[in-house]
Amino acid sequence: MLLARFLGPRVWILIAALLLAAVLVPMANLYLSPSHPLHVPSYMVPLLGKYVCYALLALALDLVWGYVGILSLGHGAFFALGGYAMGMYLMRQIGARGVYGNPELPDFMVFLNWKELPWYWYGFDQFWFAAIMVMLVPGLLGFVFGYFAFRSRVTGVYLSIITQAMTYALLLAFFRNDMGFGGNNGLTDFKDILGFPIQADSTRAGLFAASCIALAIAVLIVGWITRSKLGKLMVAVRDAESRTRFIGWRPEYVKLFAFTVSAVMAGIAGALYVPQVGIINPGEFAPVNSIEIVVWAAVGGRGTLLGPVIGALLVNYGKTYFTAVAPEFWLFFLGGLFVFVTLLLPRGIIGTIDYGWETWRSRRRASREEKGESDDGEGQPLASPAE
Amino acid sequence: MAEADVTNRKPQDEVQALFEPQGVREEQTPRTDAEGHGERRPAAAPASPESAPPQAEAALAPIEEPVVSPHPYATKLREQRLAKEASGHARRDTLLYLDGVNKSFDGFKAINKLSLVVARGEMRAIIGPNGAGKTTMMDIITGKTRPDSGEVFFNGDVDLTHHDEAAIASMGIGRKFQKPTVFESHTVEDNIRLSLAGPRSVLEALFHRKDQAERDRIDAILETTRLTEKRKLLAASLSHGQKQWLEIGMLLAQDPELLLVDEPVAGMTDAETEETARLLREIARTRSVVVVEHDMSFVRELGVKVTCLHEGSVLAEGPLDQVSADPKVIEVYLGR
Amino acid sequence: MTPSIRWLLAALTFLFSAISVAPVHAQESDPAATIQKFGGKQSYDETEAVISELAATGDARVARALRALREGDLYWRESDEAVFIAERNGDNYDLLDPLTGEPAGSEPRGDMSKVRVKNSIRNAVTTALGSLTLRAENPAQRMRAAETLFSEADPEMIEPLDAAIEAESNADVLIRMQEARAAAVLASDRPAPEKAEAAQVLANRGDRESLTMLNRFANSTEDQAARTAAIAAIAAIENNIAFWNQAQNIWYGLSLGSVLLLAAIGLAITFGVMGVINMAHGEMVMLGAYTTFVVQEFIRTSAPGLFEWSLLIALPLAFLVSGTVGLVMERGLIRFLYGRPLETLLATFGVSLILQQAVRTIFGPSNREVGNPDWMSGAFDIGLMSVTWNRLWIIIFALAVFAALLIVLNKTPLGLQMRAVTQNRSMASAMGIRTPWVDAMTFALGSGIAGIAGVALSQVDNVSPNLGQGYIIDSFMVVVFGGVGNLWGTLVGAMSLGILNKFLEPYAGAVLGKIVVLVLIILFIQKRPRGLFAQKGRFVDA
Ligand SMILES: Nc1ncnc2c1ncn2[C@@H]1O[C@H](COP(=O)(O)OP(=O)(O)O)[C@@H](O)[C@H]1O
Ligand SMILES: [Mg+2]
Repeated sequence: MLLARFLGPRVWILIAALLLAAVLVPMANLYLSPSHPLHVPSYMVPLLGKYVCYALLALALDLVWGYVGILSLGHGAFFALGGYAMGMYLMRQIGARGVYGNPELPDFMVFLNWKELPWYWYGFDQFWFAAIMVMLVPGLLGFVFGYFAFRSRVTGVYLSIITQAMTYALLLAFFRNDMGFGGNNGLTDFKDILGFPIQADSTRAGLFAASCIALAIAVLIVGWITRSKLGKLMVAVRDAESRTRFIGWRPEYVKLFAFTVSAVMAGIAGALYVPQVGIINPGEFAPVNSIEIVVWAAVGGRGTLLGPVIGALLVNYGKTYFTAVAPEFWLFFLGGLFVFVTLLLPRGIIGTIDYGWETWRSRRRASREEKGESDDGEGQPLASPAE
Repeated sequence: MAEADVTNRKPQDEVQALFEPQGVREEQTPRTDAEGHGERRPAAAPASPESAPPQAEAALAPIEEPVVSPHPYATKLREQRLAKEASGHARRDTLLYLDGVNKSFDGFKAINKLSLVVARGEMRAIIGPNGAGKTTMMDIITGKTRPDSGEVFFNGDVDLTHHDEAAIASMGIGRKFQKPTVFESHTVEDNIRLSLAGPRSVLEALFHRKDQAERDRIDAILETTRLTEKRKLLAASLSHGQKQWLEIGMLLAQDPELLLVDEPVAGMTDAETEETARLLREIARTRSVVVVEHDMSFVRELGVKVTCLHEGSVLAEGPLDQVSADPKVIEVYLGR
Repeated sequence: MTPSIRWLLAALTFLFSAISVAPVHAQESDPAATIQKFGGKQSYDETEAVISELAATGDARVARALRALREGDLYWRESDEAVFIAERNGDNYDLLDPLTGEPAGSEPRGDMSKVRVKNSIRNAVTTALGSLTLRAENPAQRMRAAETLFSEADPEMIEPLDAAIEAESNADVLIRMQEARAAAVLASDRPAPEKAEAAQVLANRGDRESLTMLNRFANSTEDQAARTAAIAAIAAIENNIAFWNQAQNIWYGLSLGSVLLLAAIGLAITFGVMGVINMAHGEMVMLGAYTTFVVQEFIRTSAPGLFEWSLLIALPLAFLVSGTVGLVMERGLIRFLYGRPLETLLATFGVSLILQQAVRTIFGPSNREVGNPDWMSGAFDIGLMSVTWNRLWIIIFALAVFAALLIVLNKTPLGLQMRAVTQNRSMASAMGIRTPWVDAMTFALGSGIAGIAGVALSQVDNVSPNLGQGYIIDSFMVVVFGGVGNLWGTLVGAMSLGILNKFLEPYAGAVLGKIVVLVLIILFIQKRPRGLFAQKGRFVDA
């Protein structure tokens, strides 16, 4: 009961649904015969897993955009960095099974005539090390970038633009062969993860379940942060940053905290994404990708926990559908979605529902007060998306 | 309005408790007579050491080192330092001390050799035509704007020009803006909660737990600002006057030593204005307050010393009657 | 502001006048026709007569044909008796134009006959070569002769050169002749002191050709003194070349900067005046480029004679096309989002996706061919640096657009209203300025300028649906770096970013250079969040 009040019943339903999916989808894939109506085909499992990773990414963005008002157009960079960290681990797992059969060096290094492993590849043969890097590298980048940006009070569109520049610079950098990350082709041809063959149905089912669980945990953590006093402060910073200064808070630290946590979450999303799609290349850094994340959160409703998850699932399902049926229309649709959401649905789906509900309730409360009754609702206020 | 207020009021002593500063601060000097202080201009000669409070003398002691260097330059430096310390003395029993402050924007002098002293416990009203630099002065005190030159000291020896907004706010200077700014998507109660004095670290905020003391304090502040009924409402849904009060409530929650209040009654009804004046007077019993206001009847109601600013510097200072009779003030501000 | 415009105009006039003087040559007789007289079966006497006729033209360009004749490389085609320089290539001859040396196709060996030579003819050629051009009437021709002889560095020419130097009256030509002589001396077996002297002459000339000659000489000579002299000369020339390399770098930087300026200047207006982030700005540029493509297609099919004018025709059309799209965007979308900059950013990004896809659907995803008119192609040299016409025109064009925009902003009613709205929107509207109209016009103007930028960029970049995306981040960097709301900031920002990029390139490589610039800008914005030329006033950070 206390828990239900803590995040609201809907969030618990979401978490339950994620945990159920983590169990049911793999089972429906592995144990039901292909003729069974509820059978989940094998190609579908990594596809769904990909959606879940995107949902996690959207949730990460929502933490900074929806709650703190920082429109980051560079979250794709954190996602990709997490992905590269995982990719490096998977590369090292290939061992001598590569085309050139070099036990130490990944194929592309042999191809480039490199004689030894660069120092920054050390340790990535250990999963625990890679797992730490998955969080540490994006987190560190987010921290350093955020520290400089927020300290010098770069805000609003300026911040958005330099986050674009950040991911663009990384894109250019990762395209270079001598960076040692496989250049244009990126990292691919993975063989196994933690000893399980990466193409096997059971491994993919496991990865899907892991993604769902990661998302559920992330929802809980973001829920906890945003329902705390710090969360209130975040919204206060979003709505009236300078006011928080004059009552003694340091909004730059609030932002830095959110930005760093969010970068770590995005990194984890990337790390779960890479083994499921089997490749990571510099294309993930493309500035456009980062902007696309924004529309997922916007469609679902920023400043809510449910919104970005639902938005990411819907939009990406739409993308899969369109690119199969009428690929040339996908960009029209996506572009139209940006326009539609900002113009007509600024609160997003969940936000609009909540807003309607809230208005209805306050109207009811007002009429009840007239009749002299008192309202004892919990009154968890909703963050309004207006800037 | 007024009737409802009477029924809502708590017993006087409870409200009183609210106005007592909560934090452990140095002892308050008794409220000083405004007129008595009016004569001491910041530019005046350094106060003699006898008049300094004892603890100030102790602070000065290490400086009484023997003069070892016969070098004229060193001696001069030392004299300068002593003179500086002594002028620090003059500041010591003032709460806010501005001297020779200048600030220009693109060559336009918004603040021009402004000097102003506010004593501990004093309430001061500041009047002046639009563009006189009143808001800019508050910007300078609260660290929003850096002055080009001049001294700005708080509590005797804290140089405010070296601190940023958050640090200054934590030192005990609260500010209400000309345009009321509250956190619109939070409830009234949360607005107050966020302003409550206390640690300001991010992690503390993350692990913060609501406790009874906090609740009591919020209740008391809501009571004082007549917002108890509205506590669950979003701040966005308050009326203009209620927002002004909520902002004053947030100020109180901060538990500051000095309150800077910019045009608190703009856009209020007469009854609300009167109520606000009473509220401010109550607050001023235990804290120092600087009020900027245009509304002359409101200023009169406050009944405190008045400073009239014009083109960034002090035009006249003294009791309201005296200031409003000053021909220069009439010329630039009140009109004939 | 007015003095600066005057300054700008003066600079432009200077550039134009400098350009118009340069390349035209006077033509007296037609050497090409004379060379053709070698064709057909000729007696040796006839051949010799043609040689002296060529010598009499005094045109240095005939030297190529004469030399080919001496070496036995001059052929004529059986079918039409046309004369070529031929190089053997398997069973064919590769033909070169005897005057210009440009490739002129190839022919089977059986179809070509050699112009016959014997020793007396060879001697006649040598004398002709020596004397012909060096003694021409026209100093410009003598100049060219000396230049040709310089690159030949033929020891046999020392004596004719000496004679010519005696007779020469024009100081500039004299210098060239002395240089040609020095080059010949270095290649000859004359005594070492004379060569050392020659090395000094070459050092004064100081170009890459002299450097090659001196290097060759320094490596081959035995004489210590001459080698020292040559090495000193090499060092001097290398300094000179380094200087011109810097100049060339600055030139490339200015050229890149002007491209950035063109791309960013419209953005500076919409972002600076209206505070609107238009992510579809790059697509406005792209629309301008595609307008150029359509105009050229139309001209190709219906009025090929107008091709040289295609860019001038495209300019107003591109302005109209992009301006109209901008106007529609403002009225239909952006005006509902004022005061919500982040949402404007997102909505305009949506528009940019739609525009890209629309162009892709209509024109296809691949690059479209946009031709360069003649006046946009080719290059010329200033000192040791080479200047291409298209880059030069783009710099001029960018500056012209910039100047025009300054005039619009400072001298027209629209400009006045735009500035009023920038400074204080509510006050402006209280004064009776129709701010919505000003907004719409401003946005249309900014977009239209992006359109004409597209016309210019179609000359140096691939015209594809992705054209705009390549510029959007760079343009934003320029505007943010230069300072929002200040056109001069945009100019300085674009040029300094362009030059910085080009100076980093040699050290860091193109990509890394760009990364460094991006990182520097990111750091810079943190130091000066409002850019180089920050707009001031209290409403800015409201
Ligand atoms: N950030 C700023 N940039 C430019 N001018 C400013 C800025 N802040 C204040 N000013 C100018 O300084 C003058 C004083 O303003 P202000 O302090 O707001 O006056 P008051 O509050 O007394 O009406 C005004 O003319 C105002 O335009
Ligand atoms: Mg003011």
